[in-house]
Amino acid sequence: MCSVQDGEDVIPERKKTGKFTEGERRPCMKCGESAAVIIRVNDAFCRGCFLTYCTHKFRSAFGKSKLIRDGEKVLVAFSGGQSSTALLHLIQEGLSERAQKKLRFIPSFVFIDEGAVLNQTQEERSETCQQVAALLQQSGFPWNIISLEKIMQESNSLEKFELSEQFESLHVSEKDQEELKSLWNSVKTLSAKEEMIRTLRSRLLVSIATAGGYSKVLVGDTGTKLSIRLLSDVAQGRGMHLPFETGFADCRHPEMKIVRPVRDFTAKEVAMYNAFHNLQPLVLPALTTKAASNASIERLTETFVTGLQADFPSTVSTIFRTGEKLSVEDMDSEVDRCQFCQAPLDTNVPASSALNATLFSQSLSQKSSTSTIGGASNCDKTDSCCGEGDGSCQTQKDFRLTKEDLADVLCYGCRLVIKDMNSVDDLLPANVLQSAAAAVRRKKMKDEIQDFLLPS
Amino acid sequence: MPVKCGLCEKKAILKRPKTGDALCKDCFFWAFEEEVHKTIIDANLFSPGEVVAIGASGGKDSTVLAYTLKTLNERYDYKLDLILLSVDEGITGYRDDSLETVKRNQQQYELPLKIISYKELYGWTMDDIVKQVGLKNNCTFCGVFRRQALDRGAMLLKVDKIVTGHNADDIAETVIMNILRGDIARLKRCTAITTGADGALPRCKPFKYTYEKEIVMYAYFKKLDYFSTECIYSPNAYRGHARTYIKDLEAIRPSSIIDIIHSGECMAVKKEVKLPVQGTCSRCGYISSQEVCKACVLLEGLNKGLPKLGIGKPHKVKKLEAQGKIFTDTKNPKFVENRDADKGSMANNAAALDF
Repeated sequence: MCSVQDGEDVIPERKKTGKFTEGERRPCMKCGESAAVIIRVNDAFCRGCFLTYCTHKFRSAFGKSKLIRDGEKVLVAFSGGQSSTALLHLIQEGLSERAQKKLRFIPSFVFIDEGAVLNQTQEERSETCQQVAALLQQSGFPWNIISLEKIMQESNSLEKFELSEQFESLHVSEKDQEELKSLWNSVKTLSAKEEMIRTLRSRLLVSIATAGGYSKVLVGDTGTKLSIRLLSDVAQGRGMHLPFETGFADCRHPEMKIVRPVRDFTAKEVAMYNAFHNLQPLVLPALTTKAASNASIERLTETFVTGLQADFPSTVSTIFRTGEKLSVEDMDSEVDRCQFCQAPLDTNVPASSALNATLFSQSLSQKSSTSTIGGASNCDKTDSCCGEGDGSCQTQKDFRLTKEDLADVLCYGCRLVIKDMNSVDDLLPANVLQSAAAAVRRKKMKDEIQDFLLPS
Repeated sequence: MPVKCGLCEKKAILKRPKTGDALCKDCFFWAFEEEVHKTIIDANLFSPGEVVAIGASGGKDSTVLAYTLKTLNERYDYKLDLILLSVDEGITGYRDDSLETVKRNQQQYELPLKIISYKELYGWTMDDIVKQVGLKNNCTFCGVFRRQALDRGAMLLKVDKIVTGHNADDIAETVIMNILRGDIARLKRCTAITTGADGALPRCKPFKYTYEKEIVMYAYFKKLDYFSTECIYSPNAYRGHARTYIKDLEAIRPSSIIDIIHSGECMAVKKEVKLPVQGTCSRCGYISSQEVCKACVLLEGLNKGLPKLGIGKPHKVKKLEAQGKIFTDTKNPKFVENRDADKGSMANNAAALDF
């Protein structure tokens, strides 16, 4: 059947060739000097005007949001890539004495070494860290390098975050290394791996920032990257969380805000900015480097969006603006949160919903679980008892979270991640498992008293 | 060793695209039908005694929908009066052939059939329109006209509801399309299982959670007769990109389709975002967010030899109207007649729903 919907303008505006023919020298639209860069279709800028435009855009992002107070300590996540490099430079410029409308926060930088999940050797990891350390040292800001393995430690052991002066070697305990490795190896698909590392990274950043007494984390996500993330989040069931994942400030953590000050820049603008300033971003491999375009959902989405963008130059900004119009409903502190990504749970859905339809399909086509038809909760197995047999003791000898238990306290998107894992037993970071177990117990308590709770 | 069906002892012959479970033919039919039944019950799609028009194009979705609804109506005693309703866009070599399939379905399923044509409603067939506007924006005309045509046909038949064969893949694709087009109003309502409850005829999609692949599978094993040719005017390039993206996602993770629908269901629009207010068209009384509905604008463009009218920006239409170049005369008389007649039946319908 024809799938054209009513009133749909079928074809968006295609790339226009513009007023100028190829090879012709264009004037800067601001000052009339000869232009050095075309930002989009007909907007040509000279070098000077382009850089002014960038700094203005960057500063006004802070100005508009009024999120960061004068003299506030902020932690900047630095990956060494294009947008981190530009972010570092923009902050440097913004804090310098000669800057008009000086930025007034106090930044420290942190690099998270993810070599472990990229299958790098100790030497390769050290080398990367050396390069990053050199860059950060040069900037004159305080900094440190933390390895991703730290996430496997129980939360209280990361009580301090100290800034370092120079890089000696990575401090990674063998136990953490082993644990991260087995967690990583149990994730079967690249899509789930990408989600996993994203959540781990963001959890680690938050706990580093908390330990160091910061209340904001700045990250270098560009608009291009966020548009891709928006679409790939939709494809991975995270529609409700889009304002967190792509907004200027991610407010899902009550005490810590993740801020994205370069989100008004496209990837191209960032690259041009770096080129004009002769900055040299590091080229570090990522999970899907050199992978096929259908290797993971995020990779596929990237190919899809950049492909469309080439033909329809408004693609990225349209996706981006769609995201701007979304919000997260009922965000009070009482709301139940996903025990992994910390976003509010999106699994309390009406009977007629995608989630329940899926659970029903699964229950229909598998013999074993026919008792769980309907309802979002599919964990009604009886707790194992001490052996008295009458259930009188109400204890469990060994509280082990099953995948089903865990899924119950996770959001839809994180459920998809653990669905792609061989097992969750003792694999997730200890602090995740602890808080998840607590949430499961609370949920069971709530179920018991459910009949006596009045609707709020 | 042959794989056994996950539910009975028979040999499995298929792997469900939706869940990956191996099933035999009969267990698959059962699961497929039960799921549609559950969707209908959970979302309260129907009430006993209702007259329901099935939008029938002769394609796989509507053919399987007609068959399944008839089966479930008998099995679970929904007490529905089912009618097949087809729109004849007037596309030679495509719609005339698919309508033959609908006519065969009518006999096979013993359901009444009503065909309503663009020619009688608007005075134009799609073939004529394409001659005027070319192959670039013709799908816009067809899409806008079809929606109204289906509603008008349904009103003539005095039905309570229209059901369409939109499946999970279609809805996921629409979610992605609306994001790509920045259409927040449609993004908000495109995952609703029933739409148009306020004023217009309610439309619902019982296949909202049904995978396209399973619909094809069902039709294949039931040996249902359907028409599967692409529209000769179609290949809508932009929607095609979204479609390919969905198919590629499904190949990476089969649950992606339903995951996208979940995303769509859970999105909330900021309160301060202005959404278009649904009103009625000042010329024909059909629901519209503009003063004059899109169908009237497009039709006026066709009749005045300005086929681009309604394709571009709305302010151009206003400008021409202010200059007295359009919307001046008594339009296509046939169209007016039909529309006035329908207005009456719309009122009747509202009264009938009130009891």
